[in-house]
Amino acid sequence: MTMAPVNETVNEAGNETAHETVNEATGGAIRPSAAGLPRLLPLIPGVPEDLRGHLARYGRPPYRGGPGHLIQAVEQAGLTGRGGAAFPVHRKLAIVARARGRKVIVANGAESEPASHKDALLLRAAPNLVLDGLQLAAEAIGASEAYLYLHPGASPEVLRALNQRAAVGLDWLGVTIAEAPPRFLAGQESALVNRLGGGPAVPTFVPPRVTERGLGGAPTLVQNVETLAHLALIARYGPRWFRALGTAREPGSMLATVHTSDISQVVEAEIGAPLRTLVNPEGAQAVLVGGYHGTWLPVGTVSTLTLGNQALSQHGAAVGAGVIAALPADRCGLAEAARVVRYLAAESAGQCGPCLNGLPRMAAALAELAGQGHRRQVRADLERWAGLVTGRGACNHPDGTARFVRSALTVFAPEIGRHARGHCSATNRRPFLPLPDSMPISEEDWI
Amino acid sequence: MGGTTAFWYASRATGIVALLLLTAVLVLGILVNRQGRLPGLPRFAVTSLHRNISLLAVAFIAVHVLTAVLDTYVRIPLVSGVIPFASGYERLWLGLGAISFDLMLAMIITSLIRGHLNRILWRAIHLLAYLCWPVAFAHSIGSSRDLQHGWMLDLAVACALVVVAAAGWRLASAARQLPRAARVAAILAQHAPHGPHGSRQAHERISR
Repeated sequence: MTMAPVNETVNEAGNETAHETVNEATGGAIRPSAAGLPRLLPLIPGVPEDLRGHLARYGRPPYRGGPGHLIQAVEQAGLTGRGGAAFPVHRKLAIVARARGRKVIVANGAESEPASHKDALLLRAAPNLVLDGLQLAAEAIGASEAYLYLHPGASPEVLRALNQRAAVGLDWLGVTIAEAPPRFLAGQESALVNRLGGGPAVPTFVPPRVTERGLGGAPTLVQNVETLAHLALIARYGPRWFRALGTAREPGSMLATVHTSDISQVVEAEIGAPLRTLVNPEGAQAVLVGGYHGTWLPVGTVSTLTLGNQALSQHGAAVGAGVIAALPADRCGLAEAARVVRYLAAESAGQCGPCLNGLPRMAAALAELAGQGHRRQVRADLERWAGLVTGRGACNHPDGTARFVRSALTVFAPEIGRHARGHCSATNRRPFLPLPDSMPISEEDWI
Repeated sequence: MGGTTAFWYASRATGIVALLLLTAVLVLGILVNRQGRLPGLPRFAVTSLHRNISLLAVAFIAVHVLTAVLDTYVRIPLVSGVIPFASGYERLWLGLGAISFDLMLAMIITSLIRGHLNRILWRAIHLLAYLCWPVAFAHSIGSSRDLQHGWMLDLAVACALVVVAAAGWRLASAARQLPRAARVAAILAQHAPHGPHGSRQAHERISR
């Protein structure tokens, strides 16, 4: 196993980032954290916090003694979902809290974006913080069932934490572990509910929202594991503490997975931190922000932007689940985009016509652009198809794919011209963006 | 008197055009499905035609009803356009017309607000098309002397045959449908001339 250096940087603007390599790493300085970073990740980078360390650092989860009380604090804190959609957490909490009868809460740890490792790392490094958040949110909405939705082989740290917590009676509600199939859409809210209900992890049409009618018809709160970890800290330290980091509109910190030519690492960063403190744009030809449903941005743009949707939305981008990948200058952006779109096409649930038929077509057209001497109309076709599939699915898979394709066409336009003339500027043919090998071929692959 | 004759002719004419348009809407609706397609017509063109022609048909039906009401030769109350069997004149046949118009309105309104509706509800209401068209067809044949003989009758019969043929095609293609999880791989294979790693091979070819 390679050991990558672990470092913490404080940039000149005072924005902080705490880095942790994806591979288990050792060493690094202990850093006291008041309002600073890291908030979620262990003080000693790479060393997972066991229950004893967790209790020493944060204390026991501060149960409020009844439903509802925490929701106002979460609203004041301005916490948004960290799974990608950045939906205000208090709104979902309030909807489910209002409902009567059986209610379900799910901690969503089925990080399905191949380029994102932050949830897996968080579950390994700070499982108790996630579980505290799950319990506190369960109390806040008056949940009657709690689930932890994970990919198979999820970190043994989570299972150990669950057992240890049960032994000392830390939990308000028993937690059932449910397994997610290795599909891109497995973590999508309605797909998750379908899977928990015993079916394949495929999305369904909204409405009804799962907060109104979810698992077995019960109102269901699905929150990303990182979101729950933040919630556990808001419950302890309050909204003002939470807002000490981040911007007024997007408070707090977030985990991001950063890919550069030499290293892939998970970083806890303050929202509003300059992007160039996370990725060095030099030596890169473009930066993918927001993952495979995200947006390619030119290097020049990235060096002026900050981490957060307020800044990124002006360039048609969003932080999503926090994937930031700086494509090295020696790779072919078109080849990378074609590989990713082919993967996304293969991961269509096959339910909605525009996604089922449109994505493979777009993948083939991008592959043609990535080849040499493409037909003249291919680019215009891609733009048209991207427009046609947008907004036409049960979930946002076609929309996200279209966004990725359109930004690739814009950012890699010079490369498209070179390929048309039979050249490619890449000198390194090794794939850069991480993709799994297997694609779904039968119903079992979705279960 | 000449004015009311014009209304009467307009009502007959728009009624027949509406039948043709409704037949086109139904057939396009039947032919739009996830895996099938009309040869030579892109899927999105078929769905757009389906939507646009349905709105056009409703416009024709509105004129058809209004002109029939405005015509003074026979007395048809305006409400009989939407309330079945409210007309003393041709009570049965005009009643069927009102029923089919109501069904159409239900389908169009639910489609316009489809984003806010439960998908199963929308689909259930949309399946009423299979009831709506035959009722409209019966209304047309029953209340229109024009359609009961000559080349107009041939036209009506042709409409019915096209609908039956489209429905048959739909049932046959439903039987051929791949299971959900296998569809994507099948379509990807159609679009990948270079095999499962088409893009990489293409890229390798040019970088060498």
